Amino acid sequence: MSVESTASTDTMEAGVPAAKLGVWWFIASEIMVFGGVLASFILLRLTGPGWAGDIEHNSVLLGSINTLVLLTSSFSIVEVLAANKAGDLEKFKKYMGITIALGLLFMVIKGVEYSIHIHEGLLPDKSLFWAFYFGMTGLHGLHVLAGIVANISLLVVVSKPGGLARYGHRSEMCGLYWHFVDVVWIFLFPLLYLG
Amino acid sequence: MAAAENHGPKNIVIWAYLVILALVSVFVSLIIPSPADTVVIFALAIAKAALVLMYFMHLRVENIFIHSLFFVPLALVVVMFFGFMPDINHWLY
Amino acid sequence: MSGTAASMHDAHHEAPTSFVRKYVFSTDHKMIAKQYIFIALFWAFVGGLLAYMFRWQLAWPETPVWGFGWISEDADFMPTGRIGPEVYNALITMHGTIMVFFVAMPLLLASMGNFLIPLMVGARDMAFPRLNMLSVWVLATASLILLASFFVEGGAAAAGWTGYPPLSAKVDYTGVIWGIDLWLLALALEFASFLMGGINFLVTPFNMRTRGMSLFRMPLMIWMIVIASVLFLLSVGPLIAGAVFLLLDRNLGTSFFLPEGGGDPLLWQHLFWFFGHPEVYVIFLPALGVMLEVISTFSRKTIYGYRPIIYAVLTAGVLSFVVWAHHQFISGLDPRLATPFSITTILISVPFAFVVFSLLATLWKSSIRLDTPMWFAIGGLSIFVFGGVTGIFNGSATVDIFIHDTLFVVAHFHSTLFSAVFLGGFCAIYYWYPKMFGRVMDEFWGKVHFAGTYLGFLAVFVPMHLVGVGGMVRRVADHTKYDLFIPLQPWNEWMTVAAIVLFLFQFVFAVNFIRSLYWGREAGENPWGGTTLEWTTPSPPPHGNWPGAIPEVHNAPYEYGVPGIDGEWVSQDQPAP
Repeated sequence: MSVESTASTDTMEAGVPAAKLGVWWFIASEIMVFGGVLASFILLRLTGPGWAGDIEHNSVLLGSINTLVLLTSSFSIVEVLAANKAGDLEKFKKYMGITIALGLLFMVIKGVEYSIHIHEGLLPDKSLFWAFYFGMTGLHGLHVLAGIVANISLLVVVSKPGGLARYGHRSEMCGLYWHFVDVVWIFLFPLLYLG
Repeated sequence: MAAAENHGPKNIVIWAYLVILALVSVFVSLIIPSPADTVVIFALAIAKAALVLMYFMHLRVENIFIHSLFFVPLALVVVMFFGFMPDINHWLY
Repeated sequence: MSGTAASMHDAHHEAPTSFVRKYVFSTDHKMIAKQYIFIALFWAFVGGLLAYMFRWQLAWPETPVWGFGWISEDADFMPTGRIGPEVYNALITMHGTIMVFFVAMPLLLASMGNFLIPLMVGARDMAFPRLNMLSVWVLATASLILLASFFVEGGAAAAGWTGYPPLSAKVDYTGVIWGIDLWLLALALEFASFLMGGINFLVTPFNMRTRGMSLFRMPLMIWMIVIASVLFLLSVGPLIAGAVFLLLDRNLGTSFFLPEGGGDPLLWQHLFWFFGHPEVYVIFLPALGVMLEVISTFSRKTIYGYRPIIYAVLTAGVLSFVVWAHHQFISGLDPRLATPFSITTILISVPFAFVVFSLLATLWKSSIRLDTPMWFAIGGLSIFVFGGVTGIFNGSATVDIFIHDTLFVVAHFHSTLFSAVFLGGFCAIYYWYPKMFGRVMDEFWGKVHFAGTYLGFLAVFVPMHLVGVGGMVRRVADHTKYDLFIPLQPWNEWMTVAAIVLFLFQFVFAVNFIRSLYWGREAGENPWGGTTLEWTTPSPPPHGNWPGAIPEVHNAPYEYGVPGIDGEWVSQDQPAP
């Protein structure tokens, strides 16, 4: 059945592999979701009574560390892509491991921040700022978790015999998603910690 | 595409830029009083995002299909922002 | 890259043999299309039943709905079959939600898209068959959740299908406890399902067309589905964000949409309608595609202005993102925005008027064959034009301030949506049923069904325009409580009787559908003389769509009466002489 399908189909007419087009489609939908969230936040922030007092409760130190963690993980997953191009399984596993570890570290630091806020009684219903804080970081955290799961499952299938040749190209798809999650954080960090 | 990616700067260089920009934005927020620092901080955030998108997500070497899937939503977010703007909390003033 | 292409085709090596893989967890786009049709028809029945119930309440308030008198006096929900204001609110809310999200989108976009894209562009299956299967099962899950919301404590969602806060944001305001949370969850899953489906609808036509099928040789139906999917992709995000906020407002005590906590209810309206208006075209464009295909086939003539139609619809797609605030003219919108949004709204009717005139030009001096699909296509188009004209009234801010929230608006959007969803949807079913099931539906009963549906629709909704201009407001459970509306009450009774007749005529369709599965006339490859690729394979198509090689395309779609070629029409795969 699949014998002539690549031969008789000009499969690459769009010049983009299907999977990549699919990931970018997904990212486009995510841009609209986070665009809606960020637009709502900025508009209410601009017209609201001012949230400077609330923002001071956020630790710039922990937020900055988390920013550096995610930026570094973005770098490590690019190296995974390079390892796939070079066909270097050891490098692939090493950098994917680093990426996953950094993702988990991000979640741990986020959890520490959450517990500090909850101990201080800063819950989502405290004020609109905390509603946004928990809503936005929660939504972003779910995306980080999803990315970690995707990265782990890629690492598992690639580690099987012949896995790199068969599934290695998926590192680009995981990478695109992971970078997008990083980009979202690049905007959340100044909005929620520095603004 | 694969060949084009190799012409750019090394990934670690981009990473170094990103770290420097992140540190600068934290530094700016500490020394310049709010809200004057906002413009600088957001300019730096956009620069960081642009670096990730251009070099890590290879947007600079992609074709029109991928470009549309990125820039059209971005444009719509801007439309949405300015469309909503006159209405949000306008009863406050 | 070639690795990706190869793995894309791994998924369909050979036809599955087990019952579960073939009929339940199938990755075959044709089976998935049928699953979507059955989900949509099930919900259409439920939605129609709800309409019957609240129409009964409007005509004969507080009397037991016929057929529901068996409900005991102590029941929480509709005791003795009577509908109070609370139940009425739940009924209209769920009617809107079901018809828009669980009938229109599965029937037109998902089912027709799944069935037609691979067959029309010449592919063995969709680009991501397993993702396709996932999307139908996510929709099934969403359906179950929505169905469950009728039976939880506090009843189903009752804040209108638009779910405006603060009404929807606090339990105290509606008395609905779980209903709105489940409603939001079902909607979120539905959106996820269609975003996943949309990946296939974009990638398959872009990457998997057969040799010779250039972008501008694709049938217009494919273009409409691609544009509709892109519109959905680009518009749904803000509403997902809004849905998350609303869930937090309801469950964690936040105040994104509550003024007392610094939030703004208008924010929800903006987020909702930023999605809500493009959504109208997400529903309408596939229906337009069906009408284009059918009108070309049954008038035996090339579509007049193939490329201009594509450009016009693309223009409308772009414009559809800057018209959303025309739904909010009286909700405290900044008056400076009213004029720009009126202008864009009236502008958006231009491209659609262009498409309608193209269709009229296609019909002009053609040899029209009035089979059932053609009746539905022309009937649907005529009602859509009617709804488009009343849309100009609503789109103009000055007029809208007077008619907003009256039954005129209800009549307007039913003219556009009913014509697209039901007349367009039935048109598609009658037209492609032979390809799906290998047999043709009965012509006589098809025409009876059309006559009942078309005239029934007019009998319900033409008077609704009149009472709407007369001031009768929507979302009121009992108009007889207001002296103003008592003279109009006979019209309410008339509309209810007509609606019941309209509903009963759908059983003609149901019986015809089931009967034709077994006793319909054998269809053969090409019962209607269509020119596009789906008519070049046996009906129903085998697993993999073509028994032999995929046909190669040599012609534009809709080629009729080409000089130098024998026969009245030219199939897309027919080589040049």
